[in-house]
Amino acid sequence: MKSTSQIIEEVKKEIPEVSIEEAQKEKAEGGDDVVLLDVRDEDEYRAGYIPDAVHVTRGMLEFSIEDEVPDRDKRVIVYCAAGMRSLLAAKSLKELGYADSVSMAGGYRDWSAAGLPTAKDKEMTPDQLERYSRHFMLTEVGERGQSKLLEAKVLLVGAGGLGSPAGLYLAATGVGTLGVVDSDVVELSNLQRQILHRTETVGKPKVESAAETMTFLNPDVNVVPYNMRLSEDNIIDLFNEYDLVVDGCDNFATRYLVNDAAVLTNTPIVHGSIFQFEGQATVIKPHDGPCYRCMYPSPPPPGMVPG
Amino acid sequence: MLPGIIGLVMATEAVKLLLDIGDPLIGRLLMYDALSMKFRELKVSRDKNCPICGEEPTITELISDYVEFCELDHSESLANAAD
Repeated sequence: MKSTSQIIEEVKKEIPEVSIEEAQKEKAEGGDDVVLLDVRDEDEYRAGYIPDAVHVTRGMLEFSIEDEVPDRDKRVIVYCAAGMRSLLAAKSLKELGYADSVSMAGGYRDWSAAGLPTAKDKEMTPDQLERYSRHFMLTEVGERGQSKLLEAKVLLVGAGGLGSPAGLYLAATGVGTLGVVDSDVVELSNLQRQILHRTETVGKPKVESAAETMTFLNPDVNVVPYNMRLSEDNIIDLFNEYDLVVDGCDNFATRYLVNDAAVLTNTPIVHGSIFQFEGQATVIKPHDGPCYRCMYPSPPPPGMVPG
Repeated sequence: MLPGIIGLVMATEAVKLLLDIGDPLIGRLLMYDALSMKFRELKVSRDKNCPICGEEPTITELISDYVEFCELDHSESLANAAD
């Protein structure tokens, strides 16, 4: 039977090691062609990691690496805390066909001790870890994705038919800041579709009713109510505060205003609209794809106005 | 119920953009008909003559009145149609 140190010595003969300085240089020069792979456990990763590193725990390595690094020809620099687990992980990677896998000697311990750049996700409370645990199972989301969502700021234009379901799900998902702009009050005739509002909030401003419902659903979310009409005077400052706008407004004047402000402030919009039994949705990423004016150069005649 | 479907498409797209995953609906107009229960997709491209995001934009700041724009533009297009 072999001792652990014997196994490590054997693997060292097979797996090349790079120093922390070499790893940093390679990643800086190679960009996307070089993968820094963190194989430590969740709690170690949570305490801090190397920026741009891909995280797959040693235990999940064989099962998840293909999703995270589909290209087996890439240079993979594996690191763990001190450089032992990374050797074993790199060996497994080689067996899986990642021929250019190496281990970073000294691991994250030496990297951070040397004062090289590290990153840390927003720390989650035990409740948050439980609340979002189903997201962590999705490799595309994971803890890092959830942290991004918790730090994201989304502005909902309209708390009506479209803003209601969008706002409820975005709140449930854990988008950290949700701004809501609407100048209407809740009416009984809204309740058949505007599911952010309730019978008892009839007569209240929609943004207040929306903030209540979203906060009840998920107290993590900071709901910022704007009980006002979007206008030429307030929209630019408002858009500058947010990463993304979800536009569920109910009139063309606002839709063009939202589009123009989004292009001018370079803010992406998720657009949606409905009319009777038909609906449409698209994403406007200014200067990357068409804007609303590219699709609809002029507004339709009055009377054709969807809601 | 129709707004629920579209609203959730919007929420999904928002999360994809925030996480930078998948293929967002950029340059694609997704259309949904509840009665036939069909989704269709229309490819849309950038207009190089677009007044705000084209090669030589004429709109470089917000126009003064969007409500008026929506009404005026209509009367102009009616006038054009009459021509």
